[in-house]
Amino acid sequence: MTYFVDILLIALGAALINNFVFYYFVGICPFIGVSRRVEMAFGMGCAVTFVMTIAAAISWTMTRFVLMPGAPLTRWAAGLWLDPQAAAGVDLSILSYIVYIFAIAASVQFVEMYLRRFLPLLYRSFGVFLPLITTNCAILFACLTIMSRLVGVDDPAARWDLAQALALALFGGVGFTLAIVIMAGIREELEACDVPAPFRGVPIALVVGGILAMAFMGFTGVDNGLKTALTPPAAIVAQAPQADSGNGASTP
Amino acid sequence: MIIWVTIGLSAAAMGTLAVFFTSVLGWANRAFHVPVDPRIEACAEALPGANCGGCGFVGCREYAAAVVCDAEPVDRCVVGGQSCTEALAAIMGVDPTPSLPYRPVVHCGAHTADRLLRAPYHGEPTCAAANLVTGVQGCTYGCLGFGDCQRACPFDAIHVIDGLATVDYTRCVGCGACARACPRNIITMAPFKAERILAVACSNKDSGKDVRRVCEVGCIGCKACQRACSLFTVQDNLPSIDYDAYCPDDLGDAIRAMEKCPRHCIVAVGKPSAKDLAALGDEQLPDVVAPDFKTTVDDTEWRG
Repeated sequence: MTYFVDILLIALGAALINNFVFYYFVGICPFIGVSRRVEMAFGMGCAVTFVMTIAAAISWTMTRFVLMPGAPLTRWAAGLWLDPQAAAGVDLSILSYIVYIFAIAASVQFVEMYLRRFLPLLYRSFGVFLPLITTNCAILFACLTIMSRLVGVDDPAARWDLAQALALALFGGVGFTLAIVIMAGIREELEACDVPAPFRGVPIALVVGGILAMAFMGFTGVDNGLKTALTPPAAIVAQAPQADSGNGASTP
Repeated sequence: MIIWVTIGLSAAAMGTLAVFFTSVLGWANRAFHVPVDPRIEACAEALPGANCGGCGFVGCREYAAAVVCDAEPVDRCVVGGQSCTEALAAIMGVDPTPSLPYRPVVHCGAHTADRLLRAPYHGEPTCAAANLVTGVQGCTYGCLGFGDCQRACPFDAIHVIDGLATVDYTRCVGCGACARACPRNIITMAPFKAERILAVACSNKDSGKDVRRVCEVGCIGCKACQRACSLFTVQDNLPSIDYDAYCPDDLGDAIRAMEKCPRHCIVAVGKPSAKDLAALGDEQLPDVVAPDFKTTVDDTEWRG
């Protein structure tokens, strides 16, 4: 039960509370570049969501089994030459960035081929922004967040599994789609406004983005409230002694 | 030892990933292959790439695709002109039809001083907005002079000079953006059978009495041109020129009609004639033009 609450909170956090665009300000390039029309923005959001999910799945698998210190595949392969003690110390996490970029680039290429074959209209309307997803920091950010929940986490139970990683990526993408579609809706209306000349175009879009980000700050704290509401009292009671014994404090 | 194992394992991991992605993408490349007609590429190469939309398609690529797939005529590109038509015809294996250059003609001859019953207008400084308001000027047909055409022109070839849109035919390529932008539809695309052709510089369809009230130079529908030359037909108090029958080598009657016009509404438009150039010939042009902030800053205005 708490596991599903956990997944729900990760999803909600990625989509709304810690929205990638409005909370972390990553992925601003397509957020500004492709938010002129709602349909295009929605298509861009879907493409980013798809690439993010694929890249997160690959990143999680690679990090969990190959890249993190003491990963099983690496330990086994290193054990062929080294004694078990030394084999456990082989650390391939230096490769993480290269592997993530590699995975993102490959999935973008895949999406591009798919779109060109089956959705040529969307493909043409994306233009240069589709290859630019490759360098979209929102996706790399999702991969790095997943890495931070695997590498350096000592408690094996606290490490994220694949479902948690996918929830973060999928709903991070959904949050990005939400953000860019809201933005596109506002910018379509802005076209008809008499904006002072120095603010026309990108400047006013950034101002609007800032105001939207402030609006999204209203979600802060929703996750804590939900966690308290959704966790059954028995689980809190069961967790409390553990927490107490863990940090040695005696908070009620 | 451990460093060599790390390096070896890194190489192996990257190699495995590379093989994995290569095979997936290789499969996708074959499975999602889109056959593209090489002629589309060739046609797109032959087109100017200005994406002006003068052919009626969104951009040059769309027109290229339409030429190849839907057997669209090859002479639609007004920017590329005859050479472009020939290139497209060679790619498609069809005979190039001779295409006349179409250029915009402004059917209004009134500068600000000629327009009567003008009222101060402080609204949005665009023709589209001013056209919604009555009483900006007496003439409800003629040029408003707020420059929607000037802003629409991608080639800087039409300017509002003294309140009247004036085409710079040395720069104009005939994309038709100005004709689409004009809210009063006084710019039409005319076939230029010669460098300079005759055109009617008025759009007012009211009776002569009403025209005199609102304009110093507008056509009063006297039909003098129609009597002098068969090319002219007066309908709704306004003459039009039959450009199909127009022959640039035999203009005797038309010139006479031009001279007969009491309001001088029939004018020659086009590239400057030899006489115009000769008149400018002895003008002293400076070698270096010093930048002037009045002409070099962009003309967007603060409208907050």
